[in-house]
Amino acid sequence: MDIIVCIKWVPDTSEADVVVDKEGRDIKKDDLDYDINDWDRFAIEEAVQIKEKVGGKVTLVSVAPEDAEEMLREGLARGADEAYQLWDDSFEGSDGYAIASILAAFIKARPFNVVLTGTQADDDCAGQLGGMLAAMLGVPGATLVHKISIQDGKAEIIRELEGGLSENLEMDLPAVISVATGLNEPRFVSIRAVRKVAGMEIPVVDREGVGVEESKVGSRGSRTRIEKVFLPPEGEGAEIIQGSAEEAATRLAEILKEKGGIA
Amino acid sequence: MKNIFVLAEHRQQKLRDTTWDAIAAGRDLAGKLGADLTALLLGSNIDPLAEQVAKECSKVLAVDDPKLEQFNSDAFIKVLVALLKDRGPYVLLMGSSNSIIDLASGLSASLDAAYAPDCLGFEVQDGKLMALRQMYSYKVNALVSFQNADSVVATLRSGAFSFTPAGRAAGAIEKVPSPIASESLRKRFLKFVEAEKGDVDIASADIIVSLGRGIGDEPDMEMFQALADAMGGVLACSRPIVDKGLLPKYHQVGTSGVEVKPKVYMALGISGAFQHLGGIKGNPLLIAVNKDAKAPIFRVAQYGIVGNLLDVVPALQEKIKELKG
Repeated sequence: MDIIVCIKWVPDTSEADVVVDKEGRDIKKDDLDYDINDWDRFAIEEAVQIKEKVGGKVTLVSVAPEDAEEMLREGLARGADEAYQLWDDSFEGSDGYAIASILAAFIKARPFNVVLTGTQADDDCAGQLGGMLAAMLGVPGATLVHKISIQDGKAEIIRELEGGLSENLEMDLPAVISVATGLNEPRFVSIRAVRKVAGMEIPVVDREGVGVEESKVGSRGSRTRIEKVFLPPEGEGAEIIQGSAEEAATRLAEILKEKGGIA
Repeated sequence: MKNIFVLAEHRQQKLRDTTWDAIAAGRDLAGKLGADLTALLLGSNIDPLAEQVAKECSKVLAVDDPKLEQFNSDAFIKVLVALLKDRGPYVLLMGSSNSIIDLASGLSASLDAAYAPDCLGFEVQDGKLMALRQMYSYKVNALVSFQNADSVVATLRSGAFSFTPAGRAAGAIEKVPSPIASESLRKRFLKFVEAEKGDVDIASADIIVSLGRGIGDEPDMEMFQALADAMGGVLACSRPIVDKGLLPKYHQVGTSGVEVKPKVYMALGISGAFQHLGGIKGNPLLIAVNKDAKAPIFRVAQYGIVGNLLDVVPALQEKIKELKG
């Protein structure tokens, strides 16, 4: 079983103070911490668990600049067998479509049974890669998947709908499966595992190595262009209760009592 | 763009609200671009649904095939490509649901169209279409334009477009033979799976203390339970808490979890992503405690405390105890 996992290096904005940059087309990223996209950690773990069950090879791939090497190396420590970093100056400014084009070109050139991705990335909040890759590779795709079993050249999956409802589907392989968070428990990475992969080579593959045309990548190859970013209007918003924790708690307890928040 | 298409969504032979989201957005955009609006309805035994859609849209293209009973992305993409490939340039609008997420981006690539997911609105400047969407943990708005493609596929944030029934005379329903009648599918629906039911039913609770990512990796769950107990409420949570195994799935509030309609909703360390807020109905008293003063939750809460949960929660529990005497 050849499993390819596509992962993304994203700025962590979940609790950070977000500021629009000078050009007004993106946010300031210099002070933000980067990490693997949360959803993708689950994709790596799922790939390694499938390999542990049915055998095979797990390949990690990311379209990411130099700094992202640590993410790929951590993925190797989690049990992946090899990792490729796809980067070329011409990739700068790629939108989701251009990134999908790069990954599809890379994946097409090698054997694969399953491609795993996270369903969504925390930076563009688009949830587009898995579906685009499936279309570009000419294979079926599924998103928001929270259970996968592989058997006899097929994948049986359960994917999330709304209100607690899910659907059970069967897919022919090869396929692109985009996972939901929480479908497994990503393993703890031991120091021993980190040491074991410390010397492994992580090839950096450029545009020609990937085999994708220059017209397909970067802002030139993108189909969307961000004209402007801005912080949403504040609106009325909450009345912020000021004071020390003690003072604020006192006031809040009174509000709760008054408004039926204490039964 | 001469044509605006909207996709009608259904499940178990009923139209879903995303259909009306799409028609509302479609009417608005058709007006801005001076384009025609056409609804697409793909399903099995669709006549009753087609009539409902035709009341709100002057033209309906309908494909009837048992393979289209479920929103199977493999079947839907094939049929929509056959329907739309010679009708460009167009904008195809679809509501945002977990069924549509499964097919939309793949469809856009198959149609060679640009893709804009989860749009909050559209602008037309000098004839150029732009979509408003959100990025970076939903904290930043972005205005996005399109290039290198004649057509655009967009999905719509639920609740961002308000639908007013027009209920005009019936629109024309054109039936198109199924282009996949003799094709086998690579993806097959087996069955629906219902969520497991737990010992706590948050859907019927009046007072909810809800926990989010901001409670940290090794939270003191007893501290939060003690607050819920003092208030006479139950513990609920957002998705990351379930993902970390801190509470079972039936405690999760949100579009993919449980819909709740309490009188009081206390959000602790919850950032306020729309998937979570989508599960809170009935306009409760919403109180947020979060250390990030810019968390989106403060835009929808009535009262907020910016502070550390480890300080605020025990103090609050103590004060409530005092008040209860």
